[in-house]
Amino acid sequence: MAGIVCRTASRIISSQVSCSSSVVAVRHSHWFTSMLSLKTSSPLRAEPKKKKKVDPRREIMMKERLKKKLKRLEKVAPELIPIEDFITPAKCLDETRIRDAPKHSFEESERRALLLKEWSRYKYSQHQTEMDTINEALEAQRQALDELKLESEELYKAAVSPDTDIFPFQHEGPSYTPPVTNYEAPEGKYNDITRVYTQ
Amino acid sequence: MAAPFTRVYRPLWRIITTTTLNKGVRNVSSTRQQWSAQNVKTAGVASPWALHGAVCLQRLPVVSQDRSPIEDEFMELMHQMELERSLLSDHELRLLEDAARMSRKQEEESDEEEEDYRDKDIFTAQDLEDIWEQKLKQYQPAQRSQGVDEKGVSSSERCLAESLILLVKKDVGSQKLWLLPQIQWQTGETLRQTAERALASLPVGADLKATFLGNAPCGFYKYKYPKDIQKEGSVGAKVFFFKALLSGHKHLPLEKNSFAWVKKDELQDFLKPEYLKQVRRFIMAL
Repeated sequence: MAGIVCRTASRIISSQVSCSSSVVAVRHSHWFTSMLSLKTSSPLRAEPKKKKKVDPRREIMMKERLKKKLKRLEKVAPELIPIEDFITPAKCLDETRIRDAPKHSFEESERRALLLKEWSRYKYSQHQTEMDTINEALEAQRQALDELKLESEELYKAAVSPDTDIFPFQHEGPSYTPPVTNYEAPEGKYNDITRVYTQ
Repeated sequence: MAAPFTRVYRPLWRIITTTTLNKGVRNVSSTRQQWSAQNVKTAGVASPWALHGAVCLQRLPVVSQDRSPIEDEFMELMHQMELERSLLSDHELRLLEDAARMSRKQEEESDEEEEDYRDKDIFTAQDLEDIWEQKLKQYQPAQRSQGVDEKGVSSSERCLAESLILLVKKDVGSQKLWLLPQIQWQTGETLRQTAERALASLPVGADLKATFLGNAPCGFYKYKYPKDIQKEGSVGAKVFFFKALLSGHKHLPLEKNSFAWVKKDELQDFLKPEYLKQVRRFIMAL
């Protein structure tokens, strides 16, 4: 309806204009019926804006493309974190740090060899006594459990069931000197220079 | 009812194999009937052994042990060998440089003042070592060993380098004996709970915080009551020991005559020989 009105109005105006002036407005595009006429582009004709449907789709498409690119980037295997212990620091390969090799007398090397042999014998006997003690304790426990089984099945089952409260178990081991009672350790400050790697 | 029969079966098999090879068949069948009759009767009533739960409370060593002579020698040797095979450290390099610089200075007597004004040369490495020694001397550590038995047997601070066991003096029948703390089992509790009760029922039980190591007993001791006390249905008692580690206590002095913290070697002065034989098996003093 509005379109019909516009068209008739434009015809009237154009006819008037063409009569009055020799300069005729040139039509550069079929959408613009006349340069001097009302701008009757599609928004004014009250056609629903076509771009509204296309744009959200385009935006959604763009987002999906970005997401796919991100996924492709993420699928690349992450760089392995270097294990610092396995890399010999350059300091250790420095030649200025090599000590002079000491020369030992014959007696000294003999003494060392004999001491090492003595030590291996000592350690062997220590290991044997440890193993014997442990086996003895295990045997005592096994016999105790056998006796308990003879006594009552219930108590045996309760004894053999695993103990969940014992772990995590913590105990301070022996130190060189006993702890000083009411000792206040001095406040210290340290700079933590460990390297933290993120994948 | 199958359970008592299976219980009988094992010892019966041993008896059959060891002793009845020469006996006749009739004998074997009669003994079998007697055994099963006996066991059915006792299973119905109760086992003739009274159950007790005991706790073997151990205070682990607080201080490291002294080295034996061979360990000392070997430690020296290891230190020497490690030193020989190592590279020079930063500190040692600095010491060598300083020494070289000092000797150069003394020989040449040249003006090397520019070097002195560099920051790191205010302290030589030797000076740093002296400073560190001074700082170490300011700290007084506690003494390792408190002399030979300065503290009595009832203190838990004695013999810091070894693990100690708690012993309690108790009336058993007519005698007073040194035992690991024990108490009679009551129906409805597990033996581990009996052992925990045994520890808690001591006069200082509330102070001794212990961690029990697992639900299973570590050893047992079985003894028969003397003839006059033996009634029908109670032949003797079985004591099951549970291990526990002392985790914290308030260092209150215990009564000398009723409590003792004892090393493994000293156990023989306190315990009866039969009891000792069983107890020694699971106490590890390495």
